[in-house]
Amino acid sequence: MEKNIVIIALFAALIAALGLVPKFTLASGIPITAQSMGIMLCGTVLGSRRGAKAVLLFLLLVAIGLPLLAGGRGGLGVFGTPWAGFLFGFPFAAFAAGLIMERWRSDNIPLVAGCAAAGGGIGALYLIAVPYYMMATSSGLDQALFTAMLPFMPGDILKAILAGYITAGLAKARPDSLLSRA
Amino acid sequence: MGQLISNNGRVSIQGVSLVKSGHAILNEITLDLSTPRIGFVGRNGSGKSTLARVVCGLIKPDQGRVLVDDIDIFKNRRKALSKIGILFQNPDHQIIFPTVLEEMSFGLTQQGYSKDAVRQMVAEALAQFGKAAWSNRSISTLSQGQRHLVCLMSVLAMQPAVIVLDEPFTGLDRPITRQLTQILEDIDQTILHISHDLEALCTYDRVIWLERGTVQMDGAPQAVLPAYSAAMDAIGGQDVFADITG
Amino acid sequence: MFSLTSPVKSPYHNVPPGPKFFLLMVASITLFLIGNIYLQAAALAFVLGLYLLPGGTFFKEGLRMLWPLWPFVGIVFLWHAFTHDILPGLIIILRMISAVALANLVTMTSQLDEVIALVTRVVTPFRRFGLRPQILALSIAMFIRFLPVLIEKGGLLVQSWRSRSTRPAGWRVVVPLALLALDDADTVAEALRARGGIEPDKI
Repeated sequence: MEKNIVIIALFAALIAALGLVPKFTLASGIPITAQSMGIMLCGTVLGSRRGAKAVLLFLLLVAIGLPLLAGGRGGLGVFGTPWAGFLFGFPFAAFAAGLIMERWRSDNIPLVAGCAAAGGGIGALYLIAVPYYMMATSSGLDQALFTAMLPFMPGDILKAILAGYITAGLAKARPDSLLSRA
Repeated sequence: MGQLISNNGRVSIQGVSLVKSGHAILNEITLDLSTPRIGFVGRNGSGKSTLARVVCGLIKPDQGRVLVDDIDIFKNRRKALSKIGILFQNPDHQIIFPTVLEEMSFGLTQQGYSKDAVRQMVAEALAQFGKAAWSNRSISTLSQGQRHLVCLMSVLAMQPAVIVLDEPFTGLDRPITRQLTQILEDIDQTILHISHDLEALCTYDRVIWLERGTVQMDGAPQAVLPAYSAAMDAIGGQDVFADITG
Repeated sequence: MFSLTSPVKSPYHNVPPGPKFFLLMVASITLFLIGNIYLQAAALAFVLGLYLLPGGTFFKEGLRMLWPLWPFVGIVFLWHAFTHDILPGLIIILRMISAVALANLVTMTSQLDEVIALVTRVVTPFRRFGLRPQILALSIAMFIRFLPVLIEKGGLLVQSWRSRSTRPAGWRVVVPLALLALDDADTVAEALRARGGIEPDKI
């Protein structure tokens, strides 16, 4: 029981750390934040329930005023943009990624984890973020796709692939580290 | 150990200063280091670790520069990698890859060697330490002392001219420490060794005592170490929990 | 761990967080219901006025917190300029800035411990759903305790990378960092158990 609570807190901290470690980038020169990758990892490593809880804890801490989002952003203000649908979608993304990881029992971890990361971090996430944008700006699908999906898709695809590699790397280094497959 | 290229590098620290949040972490340090074994002592917070990182080109000084064999190790990162390597305190904060082979191959691959050359060089390095069997071992199966050795082998495989040791034996038991110390004694590279273990430094050529970012004392270990030791004992008699950085 | 609370004192600092959050909710909903550009402009002017009240330093700090919005403003503007539909775009932009500025104002004027206390109070009725306030408070404390540790360890791993490569440290260092997080979790769980553990809920 204690282990669960602690691991959730630590992975929430890991999401934050991915955006705050100095001189760490996913793609040199391009400002992609590693935090949405952290969301995917919560799902692929911790599984659906623990992963979602870790993300919820992270969001709570952002909301109460800690500068945890890349660039030192945080507080309630970050929930006030039309792109806040991404933030609200994060827990669902982790949950979906975890679910895929738990149900699809192939041994090809990089593939499964990559697909899980994409399914959660892109599929589930955009399914929430795009309609939220449409609602928040009273705009049509075309505008939403252009302003809420297009800028982030290439980065998110890269992150899903990397999340697959990282999950596989964890499984290789220490097989019982994947709580999603425990 | 004769197969390692004789590689006694020379470090020239020129007027290095570093300020962080208003505090001078390093204060115009100028040192010419050319003897094979040089020790660094000082309290925690004296700037030793920061200096180590500046000397390796990992942190940019606000003023001054560092040359290793005439290469500016911050301006010329590419060449610097082949000139100077560093070993940190905790191998768990240093080892990036899951297997010994991958960890040791990393630096060599980054230096530009071909896949075959890398495989060859790693095999040679492992053989020199008698650890050929470690090649495919997973790091998680290795003990702390063994992990320290992997870090050391990874750095040595890159054949630098200078190696910086930032308290690399902290937490290891005596036999392992002695073994690793023995290995280090035999290598040709210049060693800059930061340590709280004064016994390890007494055979060194030179010991430098760093205090609050400046050189307090610099000379033979027989002169510096007892003075340092006495000063530390004196401080130990006072209230150590008072604010040190004040 | 520093928070985004402003060190510059304002009258808003003395208002307890509960009412501020409630007002924010009401204000945000109102903003979303307004479709008139003049009213939106007036609302933004009002919000900026709220920032000016505590003085110039506070105002500048507020502006700085709004600066990260610029790419969002840019994207919305681009789209609407492209479709020759500027007015709705302006309304979106004004509304967004007002909403974010108001939310930031609450964050800047609320102390962290007060907000945590508010959150734990709000969560109490949800006890039956398995969310216990003590567990939440403990989780928050653990997060704040371990975040700097993870950042430091990540920093060391990045240095280990940079001491052997001229390329920027990439995804590879995330694996050992995640392992360190898992190891820390084991150690902390042990420490918790050694101090009595977390009792299961007695209903």
